[in-house]
Amino acid sequence: MNNKFKTKSQMVLYFLKGSVIFFVISMMYSVLVTFFELVSPKFVQYTVDYCIVDAADSSVPGYIDYVINMLGGRDYLRDNLYLMAVVVGVCAVATALFRYLFKLFNSIAAEKFIRRMRDTLFEHIIRLPFAWHSENHTGDIIQRCTSDVDTIKNFISEQMINLFRISVRIAVAMYFMLGISKFLTFFSAIFIPIIVLYSCFFHRRISTGFEKADSEEGRLSATAQENLTGVRVVRAFGREAYEKERFETQNYHYTNLWIDLIRTLSAFWASNDLISGLQVMLVTIIGAVLCVNNSITVGEYIAFVSLNAMLTWPVRALGRIISEMSKAGVSIDRLRYIMNSEEEKDIADAVEPPMNRDIVFENVSYKYGNGTEDVLRDVSFRIKAGTTFGVLGGTGSGKSTLMYLMDKLYDLPEGAGRIMVGDTDIRDIKRSYLRQNIGLVLQEPFLFSGTLSENIAITQSDVNLKEVRDAAKIADLDEAIRNFNKGYETYVGERGVTLSGGQKQRTAIAQMLMGKPPVMIFDDSLSAVDTRTDARIRKALSETTLGSTVILISHRITTLMHADTILVLDKGRVAEIGSHDELVANNGIYKRIYDIQKQGI
Amino acid sequence: MKKENSNLEGTNLKFFGIPKLFPYIRPYLLKIVIMVSLGVLSSLLDSFIPIFNRYAIDNFIAKGTLKGLPIFTILYVGVLIVLVVDNYICTYICGQVEMGMDRDLRNAAFNHLQELSFAYFNQNNVGYIHARVMSDTGKIGLMVSWRMMDIVWNGSFILCVLLMMLIQNVRLALIVMAIVPIAVIIATYFQKKLIAINRKVREINSTITGNFNEGITGAKAIKTLVVEDKIQTDFEKDTKKMFRTSVHATHYSAFFTASITMLSSIALALVLYKGGVMTMEGVMGIGTLSVFLSYALALMEPVQNVIVTLSELITVQVNVERFFKLIEEQSDVFDRPEVIEKYGDTFNPKKENWEELIGDIEFEDVSFHYPDGDEYVLEDFNLKVPQGTNVAIVGETGAGKSTLVNLVCRFFKPTKGYVLIDGKDAAARSQLWLHSNIGYVLQTPHLFSGSVRDNLKYGKPDATDEEIWKALDLVAASDVVRKMDKGLDADVGEDGDMLSTGEKQLLSFARAILADPKILILDEATSSIDVVTEKKIQDAIGIVTKGRTSFVIAHRLSTIVDADIILVVQDGKIIERGKHSELMKQKGYYYELFTRQFEERSFNLI
Repeated sequence: MNNKFKTKSQMVLYFLKGSVIFFVISMMYSVLVTFFELVSPKFVQYTVDYCIVDAADSSVPGYIDYVINMLGGRDYLRDNLYLMAVVVGVCAVATALFRYLFKLFNSIAAEKFIRRMRDTLFEHIIRLPFAWHSENHTGDIIQRCTSDVDTIKNFISEQMINLFRISVRIAVAMYFMLGISKFLTFFSAIFIPIIVLYSCFFHRRISTGFEKADSEEGRLSATAQENLTGVRVVRAFGREAYEKERFETQNYHYTNLWIDLIRTLSAFWASNDLISGLQVMLVTIIGAVLCVNNSITVGEYIAFVSLNAMLTWPVRALGRIISEMSKAGVSIDRLRYIMNSEEEKDIADAVEPPMNRDIVFENVSYKYGNGTEDVLRDVSFRIKAGTTFGVLGGTGSGKSTLMYLMDKLYDLPEGAGRIMVGDTDIRDIKRSYLRQNIGLVLQEPFLFSGTLSENIAITQSDVNLKEVRDAAKIADLDEAIRNFNKGYETYVGERGVTLSGGQKQRTAIAQMLMGKPPVMIFDDSLSAVDTRTDARIRKALSETTLGSTVILISHRITTLMHADTILVLDKGRVAEIGSHDELVANNGIYKRIYDIQKQGI
Repeated sequence: MKKENSNLEGTNLKFFGIPKLFPYIRPYLLKIVIMVSLGVLSSLLDSFIPIFNRYAIDNFIAKGTLKGLPIFTILYVGVLIVLVVDNYICTYICGQVEMGMDRDLRNAAFNHLQELSFAYFNQNNVGYIHARVMSDTGKIGLMVSWRMMDIVWNGSFILCVLLMMLIQNVRLALIVMAIVPIAVIIATYFQKKLIAINRKVREINSTITGNFNEGITGAKAIKTLVVEDKIQTDFEKDTKKMFRTSVHATHYSAFFTASITMLSSIALALVLYKGGVMTMEGVMGIGTLSVFLSYALALMEPVQNVIVTLSELITVQVNVERFFKLIEEQSDVFDRPEVIEKYGDTFNPKKENWEELIGDIEFEDVSFHYPDGDEYVLEDFNLKVPQGTNVAIVGETGAGKSTLVNLVCRFFKPTKGYVLIDGKDAAARSQLWLHSNIGYVLQTPHLFSGSVRDNLKYGKPDATDEEIWKALDLVAASDVVRKMDKGLDADVGEDGDMLSTGEKQLLSFARAILADPKILILDEATSSIDVVTEKKIQDAIGIVTKGRTSFVIAHRLSTIVDADIILVVQDGKIIERGKHSELMKQKGYYYELFTRQFEERSFNLI
């Protein structure tokens, strides 16, 4: 964990790069919107007061007086009232235009902002060490990259902007109100902190209710999901009635949680209505009293009441915004956790040595970050360049770890031995170079969403269909692919056709062959293929991999027995090493497993 | 995906599908009536509040007296309280209706799924079905409750305002009303555009989520293949598309709201001009003018709301349609009425009438093709499986080895012919009767979230711990449980995430054994357990299949040499059958498959 982003604001500012200017522009437009929204009713009010009704008991603000004089004075306007309608219309057009611009720029800013967040996160995540990926849950990370990112975007583009807009609105309205009566403004303003604090407090309290309902929904959803994916098990055990009861119980529970929540929410909305209603009432009554006592004029009274009404909704929204802002803080920290994790790095002067050399493990010991036991203990052996090397071991023997270390998916710590390619310690080799030259076929291969040919040629800069087919032929996949309706253009991956485990493994083999790497590792990569196909593929492979160093990892002796050298791993230690015949003669673990497996046949 | 889209345009449900939903609405009818009446009352009271203000101007301020202020205050407070209580009850009932309907619809969908046959599950993927149960139902509930209230509130407000305006001044009212159709046209146009573009935004959004998923779950592959840059470029293409589409969507929505605001102001300007002239001519009072001014401003937003809500109702039709498609789906495997009469249905079994299952199975002239295909995979197939017989089914991956098992379990019904259980047609007894006597171990083992004990007891809810341990010992799985910190109480995680595949297989094995089934089915259960464990399991298989009718689908031919009958499947069809020794003598396909395992040695290996 490095501390690239020490504080929340540091990271938000980093993400804001490129979009902040659009946010500023949109805020400027929002001020203009507020201005025209507040000015337009003024024109209406003065039109009524001075043109239609002859009430001259209050002064006209300078800007309205200016407009009236510009249009030809009050008497002229009385005869040509449409001119005032035009002024109101112009205000309307201006409001609409600026509102449109405000929304547009706000959206451009928000989308630029979220795009930068997503791109940066994705770029960072795929470059984080594999150890990080195995320590963190996929679902959790995806949640951070989707809903937390959305939360932060809403925080900046909606909550912050609204906070600004509402503050401007309240400030302008208060300014006008103070101009009319300080006494009355006091009664109006005193409700603002009450409403804000009340909704703040309430939203905070109810947020645990929402969380509970959310996790209950997750549970209900998981129950349905499990029932559907496990439909065979449910049916074969005849447990439909149990499933029904399980689902219905959870469904009732979830529903009741929500109904409770809605009752609380209704109470909140209603009490908020009451507070706002009381405020309006208080202003009406006290205003009337002041008016009767001649402290304010009728026009001022009407203006004050309408200004006060304009405050009601913004003030209510303020409470919600402030309470929701605390959520954003949590989300920002959740992203900061990702962004502050250290990416894979090469040492300063990493080298790119030839890879068709002997590979030597010297006293390698390894233990996973969160484990207590060594997975590998003092392992030493040599793989001669151009030979076939087998690694035999049961589940948990550490055989896959060996290969992960070799491919630098996990870094071997200093002092835990070393792995050499020729004369070079792999710690000094450039990571991308090393991985490009070691073709590792995983036991559970991963298909990217895309077509089959794109998948096979994923390491290539462009898709050469002939090469793709050649590789697929070796992997005994060509025929199967051509049986698909769309052949090599068949879409696979998350939303595509589902391939069988064996087909996936064969795709991965074809994919690896495309890169023609000098070192090839097959990590139990034909386990899901039936024995006949398995044999066919291995025959084809043996013809193409001549000259390459081939490492086979398996728990099946038939897979390994023809390798030049076989290493037997037992609980992280080298138990035996030698050719098949030597190991059988040795009468150790290898012989025992061999007997068990042979007996099966 | 395409199919769903085309549904959107072509829904032929009447009145937004509400008549069809009526059986689900009926229990809440009273609540809905109360909710709607309270909603109308709330709108009326809402439009009544400004009257207090006018009364204050006319009676206190204009007359310069405070006489009657206490009564005024009491009345004001009274109306406020009625309004607040009304709103409280109304929203609470609305929430009850929403959640109640949600719940009923979800239960109906889920329970119906429990009785659908495998043909349905084969043709629809889990994600699709899951969305029917969880999200369509929610959208329907929302429509019947809040969306309806939106229309009631806004609609009655609009009506109130129009009525008030007409009463006070017909000419001015008609001028304001002339704007309304324009608002309707604009709103309808933009809403239609927005729905389409927002769907696109959601699609891209789910692609991006998919990309994240791929970048994270595929981390190992990305690293070993060194394709970070390529993946990143692809990702940025999608985020760029997202940017463009979202901003495009904002164009419409911003233009939409801006034009509605403008219409309100134009209405205001018109009233100011026409009404102002009328007032100056003395045709109309100043009070009426000020009321009209506020009505003109307040009218357009509810119009906009009604349009938006209506267009949302149109999109919900798709959800209603999908929901009913699921509910009305007929299972092609079902129990006949007389069978249900005697044996009970899925949820109310009459176990007292169940006879004991012995385990004789016979295929009598069975022909079969899958409902989603038309090629026969079995034709006039005959096979007798007396009680206690071990049947093995072998063949290459994807050769169709599960077909026989699917028929034995009655997951599918034969297209022609009969599967006889203890001499009687399988359809003569209930599915549940049969299933209660079957043990099933899957290739990809499925565990339910919960404790180890819950999972093991799945097939036998009243099993004691002693029995559980016995079953675990039998399949050499007791070590797996012992090493877990809480033993039988340990949590297996969602879909058994906390366990390795091999461990899951061992546990699902123990689960099947514990139920002490008369018929046992092992579906390629031993393919990914390490050799030593596999050996242990093979021994266990020998023990548990003894005396039980069993079907074993296996990759490793070594597993099944002792089977009583071996069926060899190729391209979905059974091409050979017999004991191991007989088949070896035939020197056919089985012999070829089997000898490959020896020949492997002679291959010049990699």
